This record gives sequence, structure tokens and C-alpha cells, in this order.
Amino acid sequence: MQVFKAMFKITKKRLPSALAYIIVFIVISVIASSNASKDSKFEMTKLKICIFDEDDTSESRELSELIAQNHDIVEIENDRDVIIDSLYYKRADYALVINEGYAEKLRAGDTADIFASYCLDESFSTVYMGQFLDEYTNSVKAYLSMGMPIDEALSCTEEALSQETDVSMLRNDKGGDAHYSVDFAAYFQYMPYILISAVFIIVCQVLVTMNRRDIRFRTNCSCISSSKYTFQLFLGSGFFVLAVWLLFMAVGVMLNKEMYTGRAWYAVFNSLIFSAVVAAIAVFVSSFEPADNILNLITQVLGLGLSFLCGVFIPREILSDKVLSVARFLPAYWYINANEMIADVIPFSSEGVIQCYLIQLGFAAALILLTLLVRKVRYSGAAISTNVRKTAVSH
Amino acid sequence: MFLHLLKYELKVGLRNKDLIIWLILFPIVLGIFFKVAFGSIYEKTEKFSSIPVAVVEEKENEAFRQVLESIENSDEPFLTANFVDKEEAEKLLSDGDVEGIITTDGELSLTVKEKGLRETMLKSFAEQYKIRERIAMDAINTAPEKAQEVISSLTSETVSSCRKIPLTQGNPDVYIQYFYNLIAMVAMFGCMTGMHITMQNQADLSALGARNNCSPVPKSKSVLACLVGSFVLQTICMVLCVTFLAFVLKTDFGDRLWLVYPTAVLGGIMGVTFGFMVGSLACVGEKAKVAILMTVTMSLCFCSGLMMGNMKAVIAEKIPWFNNINPAAVISDSFYCLNIYEDYDRFITKLITMAVTAAVFAALGFLASRRKKYASI
Amino acid sequence: MENTVVKIQDLVKRYGDLIALDHFSLEIKEGEIFGLLGPNGSGKTTTINCLLSLLSYDKGSIEIFGREMTPVSYDIKKEIGIIMQNVAVFDELTVYENIDYFCGLYIKDKEKRKKCIDEAVKFVGLEDFVKFYPKKLSGGLLRRLNIACGIAHKPKLIILDEPTVAVDPQSRNRILEGIQELSRNGATIIYTSHYMEEVEQICTRIAIMDKGKKVAEGTKDELKRMIKNTETITIEILELPDNVLRDISGLDHVYDTNYSDGKLSVYCSGGKHNLLRILDVLQKKELGFGRVYTELPTLNDVFLEITGTALRDKEE
Repeated sequence: MQVFKAMFKITKKRLPSALAYIIVFIVISVIASSNASKDSKFEMTKLKICIFDEDDTSESRELSELIAQNHDIVEIENDRDVIIDSLYYKRADYALVINEGYAEKLRAGDTADIFASYCLDESFSTVYMGQFLDEYTNSVKAYLSMGMPIDEALSCTEEALSQETDVSMLRNDKGGDAHYSVDFAAYFQYMPYILISAVFIIVCQVLVTMNRRDIRFRTNCSCISSSKYTFQLFLGSGFFVLAVWLLFMAVGVMLNKEMYTGRAWYAVFNSLIFSAVVAAIAVFVSSFEPADNILNLITQVLGLGLSFLCGVFIPREILSDKVLSVARFLPAYWYINANEMIADVIPFSSEGVIQCYLIQLGFAAALILLTLLVRKVRYSGAAISTNVRKTAVSH
Repeated sequence: MFLHLLKYELKVGLRNKDLIIWLILFPIVLGIFFKVAFGSIYEKTEKFSSIPVAVVEEKENEAFRQVLESIENSDEPFLTANFVDKEEAEKLLSDGDVEGIITTDGELSLTVKEKGLRETMLKSFAEQYKIRERIAMDAINTAPEKAQEVISSLTSETVSSCRKIPLTQGNPDVYIQYFYNLIAMVAMFGCMTGMHITMQNQADLSALGARNNCSPVPKSKSVLACLVGSFVLQTICMVLCVTFLAFVLKTDFGDRLWLVYPTAVLGGIMGVTFGFMVGSLACVGEKAKVAILMTVTMSLCFCSGLMMGNMKAVIAEKIPWFNNINPAAVISDSFYCLNIYEDYDRFITKLITMAVTAAVFAALGFLASRRKKYASI
Repeated sequence: MENTVVKIQDLVKRYGDLIALDHFSLEIKEGEIFGLLGPNGSGKTTTINCLLSLLSYDKGSIEIFGREMTPVSYDIKKEIGIIMQNVAVFDELTVYENIDYFCGLYIKDKEKRKKCIDEAVKFVGLEDFVKFYPKKLSGGLLRRLNIACGIAHKPKLIILDEPTVAVDPQSRNRILEGIQELSRNGATIIYTSHYMEEVEQICTRIAIMDKGKKVAEGTKDELKRMIKNTETITIEILELPDNVLRDISGLDHVYDTNYSDGKLSVYCSGGKHNLLRILDVLQKKELGFGRVYTELPTLNDVFLEITGTALRDKEE
């Protein structure tokens, strides 16, 4: 078990940087799982609206109050740059100007361009508010044309607009299983990124060290058989990955505040299988003996790449179809697929989850086969080329 | 002599793998990921597009059908309707193909999957019917003689009451921030190139430094040559980065792309001088210098929103002065100004900030690296 | 030959409480190969760094070519070639480019520089490797490149700080021969090392340093004369009665004897015909003996005797 022991000693040195990743991950997960919440009751979306009332009459104030009932009013300095910044950075969703002469024009029934709105682009909020304002002025006009005085027309309009349509939510068991809430699913959602980063920092660096030419040559000279050596390497990597995984599971129990139950075990197994995939990737990459800086780049590319492409950071529904069709060929996609099923974001079926497991295991198996192939070609290739050179010299 | 030094500074720089990896390859890869991740969020969530709905007609409602058709025929349809049966509609909704189901059963009712602005818009669309009905009822009750007139005015096309004032010709996509910050990150990574100037020229830091110190070339001259060389290298990286983002990833920087280049280059120069200053001032070894620079750089980038896009807005509210001195934020802000504002006032302020910062950094670095003897090597 | 090239007077350098150089003085004449010898940590490299104005010092003065040496003495620096203990080359530049870079710091004229570089490459025997990057070179070749970078501009004063550390014998010989050739071409050379044989082989004058002080200075013969031992006589002899040993010990000029494992060692100090007189004693007692050999003192003996023990590093 010399190889195994040596790996341990090398790993000790890598621990601090890996721990840094793990701590960052736990912080992000806590923030993320406290943010995600989905209610089953429908509510109107409130916009952040700022109103510049240039008319300042009782009519305009009444409109402002009506808007304030349904939305949040934000105060913003009436300066072009400030308005741009606020709209761009979403301090306000909509900037409304009630033009001077609003009351008079409304009374006269001339409603064209009595408002103005600052906007950056045609967004849902501008369309929505535009519709609302049209509806409002049309209603007021209608009441006025019935011969009502303006204040009565306004109050009637308000009453008419306050009617509501019932909205029912399509209950699709959305909001997660009792044993595996959507909040908690977020913890497992971000796990691929951190598993890749942590495992690469620990395992890959160690493996690269062990595989380095001079060390490998030296080991080849010793009496340990090469299959035994490789076996110990696999064993060592497996051990570290398992350790990292167990740590995450323990933190998960703490976040969940209770032991995993019911469907949550599916997620636990899912992450274990993904850990195996990551370990296989690590072993595969390290057999190419990349230099330190290249390895860092590969770590970043794999970690960020799989995460961005497969919907770890950003919900899959927002990703474009092209991206998703590529992502299907990546293991993290199936991890996320299983996780979403378990969390009931997409319909759950145990066969479906197990299918995702099998696909991930398939990736792992394929990577291990590739690794063996690469080792065979690279290492025996070296021996062959030295042989060739020797014969060339002896001739 | 100056050219000799410059030539070799460039040769060394261009053959440095770290430079190629972190200043050229890494930004390209990160840029692709940002494109994949943020490329379509704005289009899908914020920019207006017609909302797909399923319409289930439990009872024939000719009037509603007509309204829908007239909406769909308008220039910018606010919704697109699919007439389907209940089962099909629910499937469409749960798959996310439609945003809601409108059921006509005497009254209109709405079924949605989640809550959001689009669902709210569907709700108020459904409510329009009730409102108009109410108004019509009121009209018949209060002024029956005018009822017909009122009802027809309600249904007729009306002029828009709200005039939109577009504030910018630029790209309103807020997610483009990530690309601004990516460029800012590359610019700030220039500090690594800048730091190597001191490694090469200070006898207490490397054997090379000692040897260079023994040569008859004045230190100010060799440092200046290295600095100019680093500027050139950084400029190459910045130009590559911007070109890749703008032409390969088709990131929309607004309509003044030609100004984005010099801005990025100036940012890169600021990054180089930053590393040069830290390298000259901090009396520690190379690894410690790299650690200091990386920590500072990544923190600055984090504050300007590289990892979380709304960080800059948060800081703008809490500690607004910080955004004006954080080099990463200044760089990404200048791209924002260039994109969004029509005038150049704020853009020029940002450029001057960068130039002054770079000059101060360089001056401090020069002062600290003047030819000196060392207490220990 | 009598021009003073380097003159160090009363140099004191402290690192905190540690006194690295303690009133150290040195004078080196033109054309000399001057060896600076001392155990690790005796202040050799510190001396060199002070000499080059890289390090600040607390007291004393340094003159090179009769002028005071300061960090801005570019005219002096122009004439100095420096080969550091650590290899100082760019990993990103090839052998040729490295030499060109450093040579270019001294020689602006391109034609002249090219000639110098070619000569330097030939001088260190790296003709086959000019396109190689330093990483691909073996330790000895890398040292040779390091030297080429230091001497390509044909300096008048060449300072070599342990240039042969971790170098194979072949490369080492080449380097040493090279140094002698440089000296023949008129350069003054300062050479630091803790390899006695090298210094003995090439240096015309030697200073021995210990704990920041100069403990001895002179040509190698002068140095050897300074010590007690002038001759060690070893005789293989199977049996040696104690009284005979006492007789031998009592001879003139013999100051120590040692008998073990059938070998008699006699340490002599001065005097002539020591061997004959010892053999005389043995023959009188009719004792048979095998091989006889005598050794003259080496610098190593000088060094050992003056600085105490060679193993001092290990104790530290």
C-alpha cells in the first residue's frame, strides 16, 4: 500500500486550497437555498414604478394612488442619467411621466399622449403598464361620456378596475416532494461545480504528481507490478472522492436539519454516482500529465463549462435548445435531470431517475476504458520508442 | 538599447505560457460560457415578446374569439392563442409551452403554472372583459340613451395614451454586464505581466534581476522598456479579447465599438501599472506577490459584478464612492457609459480616471524601483 | 601586471545580529585569477554582491579600476562580467537569444555583438544547442550557458560565483580551462568556490575566508608554507613494536605519528630527508615494510588547518 500512503501525504498539502472551495460552496448553497421559494397561491407581480407628476392636480394624484395600490412606488431623482441607471440596474421597472395638462385633456376626452414613459427597450413592464394606462383612460372617458362629473367618473373607474378574475394554479406537485423540498434541491443543484473543483484540486494534482515521468519511471523500476500500481491509484482516488462526497452529505444533513428521508435518498445516490463520474474524469485527465497551469485551466473549463452548459448555475429552461442538445452528451446534464425529477420540477418517475443514473455510470465506464487505453498507448508507447532507438543505435 | 530591451521583453512575454493561458485562452473560454448562459436570458425573460396561451372553449364565445384574432393580427401581438381541449392545454402548460390557460365558460378564467409578470398580464387581459362589462352595465343604468355610444367607443381602436421615450440607442440587455466585467478581468490580469517587470529588474527577487542589475543599462531605462513591452502585450490581449467577444460571440457593445477598443486597452494599461506598483512596493517573494495580486484582483472583480451581476448596483447604493475608485468597476462602467449614454461626459470622466490611476500607479512603481542597493538578497 | 583592479577596504556587512563580513579587505591585481575560498556561509557571495553594489554595506569602501563602485557606475559595470551562483537566464528564450539579450545590454553594435555571441557559444561549446530552450539543457550545459551569458561581451573583470556547482567532471574541466583561457586573454578573474582542487588548479592567488574574515591570503605555495604540516609519510608495515614507534616520534621535525591497520603515518613539519631518516630507523630494527609513499600538503589541508574543520557546515 505504499502508493496509497504516498498519495495521502501529497494530498495533505492540497487540503487548504480545497477547503477554501468547499467553504465557498457551502456559503453559496446556503444563500441559494434561502432564496429559492415558490408559492402555490397566485399573486399579482408588483412592479417598481417611479412617477414624475408634472401635472400635479387632484386627478393625477388619484392615478398615482391607484398605481401605488398595486405596485411599489420608488423615488428617483428626475435626471436623465439617474433614470437610465435605475432602469438598467432594475432599481425601477417603469418610469412614468404624467404630462402637464393631464387633468384638462382627460376631462376633454383627448387622451392621446397624456403620459410619457422612459424606457430602454420594449420590455414586458412597458407593455403591461401601457395597457393598464390605456384601459384606465378609456374607462374614464367612457364614464365621462355618460355625463358623469370627473370625480365621479374616476371613482367609478377605480371600482370597475378593481374587479378580479380568479386565477388557479396548475397543481403539478410543484414545490417539491415532502422529503426533498425545492429549497434543499438547490444544494444538490450546485454540487457538480464544486465536486469538480474540489476533486480536481485534490485528486488530479496528486495523480499528476504520481504520473510524472521521472516518478513513473522510478516506480516502474521497482518490484511493484503495473496493474497493482494502477489499482492503488484508483483506490486512492476513489477514497478521496468518497471523503469529499461524504463531507458534502454531512453538510447537507446539517442544512436539511434532519437525516435524509424518502426521496432525498435518490438525490444522495445521484450525487454519489456523479462523484464517480468526476473521479473518472480526474483519472482520465491526469493520465495526460498536464502541467500545473494547464491543469488549472482544465479545472476551470470543466467546472464552469459543465455547470453553464448543463444548467447548474442557470435554470435549463432559460438555456437555448441548441445548448441543451449539446449538453445531452455531458454527464452533468443527466445529473441535473435526475435532480429536477427528484425535486418534482419535471415529472418524477423512479424509472426515469434510474435511467439517469445508468447514463451517468455509462459515462464513468467509458472514461475508465479510455483511461486504460491512453495509459496503454502512452506508457507502452514510451517503451517501444526506446526499444526502437536502442536497435537503431546497435545497428 | 531601448529597442533591444523591448524586443526581448516581447519575445519573453509572447512565449510565456501563463500569459497565453490566463490572458487569452481563459477569457475566451469564460466568454463562451457567459454567452451560453446569459446570451438568451434577456430575450427570454425581459424583452417583450408575445405570450403564448392555450384557450379552452367550454362554451363557444364568438366575441372573445374575435378579440383574440384582432390582437393576433396587430403589429405587435401581445399574445398568441392556441385553441385546444382541456387535456392538451394542461399538457402544454406543464411542459412550459404556454404560459397560461384561458377557459371560456361564460366567464373567463385563467390557469397558470407560476407567478410572474407574464401571468399578471394574462390576468389583467382576462379582467378587461369584466371591466368592460361593468362599464357597459353602468352605462345602461345611468345613461341608457348613451349606452350604445359608450360601448362602441370601448371596443373601438383608441390612440395610445402613453408616449414612450427611449433613453438609449444602446444595448439594454443587463446581462451584457458580465462581458464588460470579463474584459475588466482580463485588464486586471495585466497586473501579473506588470509584476514580472519588477521580478526581472530587482536583484533581491531573482537571479535574473541580479544579473540585470550588474549590467551597465540604467535601471530606469530597462524598467521603462519592460513597462512599454508589457503595455504592448496587454494591448494584444485586450484587442483579442474584445474582438472575440464582439465578432465571434456577437456581443452587442452598442453602436460605438471603435471606442470600446481604446477603452479596453487603457484598462489593460491600468492593470499592468497596478501590478507594477504592487510588485515594486511589496517587499515579499514572488509567490506572495502573486497571491496578493490575485486576491485583490478577484475581490475587485467580484465587487464590480463578475460573479454576481447585481453586485455593482448593491455597492452603488451602500458605498457609492467605491465604484468610482475600484479599477475593475471603472473599466466595466466605461463600457456601460459607452453603450447606454448618448453623450460622452461620463465616459470621458471614466477614461480620465483610468489614465490618472495608471499614471499614479506607474509613478509610485518607478519611485519604489529606483536603482538601489538591497539590505539582503 | 601591477595595476590594482579591485580594492576592498574594511568592509563590514551585518544581517541583523549576524556579521556577514567583518572588516574584510582585499586587493586584486590585473591579470590575476583570484580564488576566494571558504566554507558555506563564510561570506563569499556577500562579498561579491557588495562588490557589485547589489547589497548595501555598513562600513568600508570598494574601488574597481581605481574608481568607487556605486549602483550607477555604468562605466565600471560595462567592464564586468558576472556569473552567478544561480543560473540566471530566461526560460522563454533560446540559448542564442539569451546570450544575445545579455550581450546586448553591453554592446550596442549589432555586427560586433554577433561576433561576440558566436565566439561565446564556441567558447562554452554550445554550438549544437543554440536553438534549444534552457529547460531542455542538462545541468552542465545550463551552467555553460550561464557562463556564456556572463562573458560574451569580453569584460575585463570576470566574477564567477561557484560556477561549477552540480556540474559533471567533463563540463567542469571545460569550464576551468575556459577560465584560464580568459585569463590568458587578459581578463582579471575572481573565482569563488569551496572545491579546493579547482582553486588549486587554476588560481594564481587565493584568499581564504571564514566567518566573514579573511584568514589567509597568498599564492598556493605561500599558503601551504603557512601550515605546520609539510609532508605526510605513510608506510605499510605489519608489525611495529611500541618502542620503535616512540623512536620515530622522537625524530626531528616529526610532530605526530599514528599506527593502525598495519599502516604507519608520520606527520612532518619542515626539514629535509625525513623519509630517509624514518626508513633508517626501521632498517636498524630489521623490520620489513611494504609500500611507502609521501604526500605533500594540499590546499585542503591548509583549509582544514586554518578554518578548523571542513565539517563545520554539517554542524550548523
